[in-house]
Amino acid sequence: MAIVGEEGGLVAPASGVEMRPGLDWHPVGEGIALRIFGDWKVRHVRRLASEIRKAKFANKRSQGAVVDVDMGGLSGLDTAGAMLLLDMRDHLLAQGYEVALRNLREADKTLFQLISRHPREKAAAQPRRSMVLGLVRDVGAVIVSLWNDVVELTGMVGQLTIALFGLLLRPWRIRFTSLVHHLEHAGLKAVLIISLICFLIGAVIMQQSVEQLRAYSAEHFSIDMLGILALREVGVLLTSIMIAGRSGAAFTAEIGSMKMREEVDAMRALGIDPVETLIVPRVLAMLIALPLLTFIGDIMCLAGGAMIAAQMLEIDLYSFMERLSDSVEIRHFYVGLIKTPFVAVIIGIVGTLEGMRVRGSAESLGTHVRASVVKSIFLVIVLDALFAMGLTAMGI
Amino acid sequence: MVPVMKERAAPLIEVRHLKKSFGSQIVFEELNLDVFEGEVLGIVGQSGGGKSVLLRCLNGLERIDDGQIRFFGEDVTSHQQRALRHVEASSGILFQDGALFSALTVLQNIQVPMREHISLPLNIMDELAYLKLSLVGLPPEAAHKYPSELSGGMRKRAGLARALALDPKLLFLDEPTAGLDPIGASEFDQLISDLQATLGLTVFMVTHDLDSIFAICDRVAVLAEGHIVRSGPPQALAKDPQHPWIEAYFCGARARAVQGPVDI
Repeated sequence: MAIVGEEGGLVAPASGVEMRPGLDWHPVGEGIALRIFGDWKVRHVRRLASEIRKAKFANKRSQGAVVDVDMGGLSGLDTAGAMLLLDMRDHLLAQGYEVALRNLREADKTLFQLISRHPREKAAAQPRRSMVLGLVRDVGAVIVSLWNDVVELTGMVGQLTIALFGLLLRPWRIRFTSLVHHLEHAGLKAVLIISLICFLIGAVIMQQSVEQLRAYSAEHFSIDMLGILALREVGVLLTSIMIAGRSGAAFTAEIGSMKMREEVDAMRALGIDPVETLIVPRVLAMLIALPLLTFIGDIMCLAGGAMIAAQMLEIDLYSFMERLSDSVEIRHFYVGLIKTPFVAVIIGIVGTLEGMRVRGSAESLGTHVRASVVKSIFLVIVLDALFAMGLTAMGI
Repeated sequence: MVPVMKERAAPLIEVRHLKKSFGSQIVFEELNLDVFEGEVLGIVGQSGGGKSVLLRCLNGLERIDDGQIRFFGEDVTSHQQRALRHVEASSGILFQDGALFSALTVLQNIQVPMREHISLPLNIMDELAYLKLSLVGLPPEAAHKYPSELSGGMRKRAGLARALALDPKLLFLDEPTAGLDPIGASEFDQLISDLQATLGLTVFMVTHDLDSIFAICDRVAVLAEGHIVRSGPPQALAKDPQHPWIEAYFCGARARAVQGPVDI
């Protein structure tokens, strides 16, 4: 390539006015005379690229013929425009033409030199795998990650047990400030929403069972049914799912963002045990808050039922409570409550463990918060099913 | 080379009587500043003195209380959508840690402004992105990496490539060399200076780094007490500070080490 610089032969366009860029060409003997003009800027690249494609001059194969490129009309050039021109030149050279550039401004020459020094081709793309292999690989990855979950959850239970025993021996090491903070956020502040949903669900259950049992004139048994259902299952399940979504996600996000900013590493470096400071207070807060919240949930569920009973069965609150205490044994309440510590540990451990697994990016934080909520709700329901089967088999 | 305009044409950015406060804390009052075409302007000032706030104000990321900001002679104070889009497309900004989108690869990050502001054919967009990548000194293999897989210096380079994606006339840099080792920092200085010269950029740079100031800044503006107390070439300010803070800054032990044994 020959760059023939001819300074001074150029009339500068009025500044501030952008000239419509383009190119025109006509054959001269064997070769081609090509004129480049206007602002070759990134905003016009789409149109310029299609104009270059449309100009079919590159297809007229003739060895050694000269393409005489007059750049005198070029009023503006940026990296995108320079890249396009260089691509065109490379294409012409590959066709066997000789390319001579004329009337190139000094500034543009520097830009051309800069661009031609830098590679523009793509990095080698990842080889594509076949779909079957991809499927096999994905299934394998899921199984491996499930196994990792089991291993890490077990490990976390162990670590937590060790930390709790340690705190049993040295109770003054419990982080009371942190514990109270989490009790407030995971416990106290959840009371309203849990009361509300339990009240509504209690009312719905009562309403539906009265409606259905009325066909057998057995509507008064709906109080028995609500009592057993609310105390054994609904109160604890609703509370647990709400808390898993609310506090489990918060735990993951809090610990995850600490992990992202290397705060957890800083704690380790300062000789502070993250399990003791981050995980134990949260799990303890869950252990204290969840039974209490479940109790509130139970009461509100019954209250919702009582409201509907007063409306549909015309039973006042006193008779409702009498009926309840006659027909629903206290063991149903205990069955509901006995599940809460297990659920609390599941929500606490899954939430904090997923937080500890967060790496670098914001996307990873999102992934783990989602995984935390899904896993803890899933495990809570599995646990509940196991309890239901086991306790019923035992006749409790 | 693009002529570096030493003679003063109309300023690219004009800031007049800028006022900004957060609650009762006043950050700027009566702040006036000009940025001229083709220059590298360094903004220095105390930590917490509002340098980054100024940069954010100029980019429309922070509302101003009073005053006027003109870009390319056009008033952008009203934050009208049209004016802002014009500014966004003709200026690039490099945040302190790159501020790359963590869900996108480096290549996709560079292509974000191209997709947002103009429409380009895919193959040209790829080619352009690889070119920018190479311009800022990153290997093509970095294209498919995510920001979390890059070192701090590489993230800054990638951020610079994104800022340069649309060939802006104006480049904002927020502490470009902070957190880089001295070799990396001086390489980055050199990179900015080379790109500035070949692409004809105007650079507005917030910095603490005395080395970069003396290496690449044509002019320094000193932000103190809520306004620009002085501006001028760094050597001139060092020779004749006229202000206690400037004296402490340019004539302290660290500054003398940078300038070598000169008679002040």
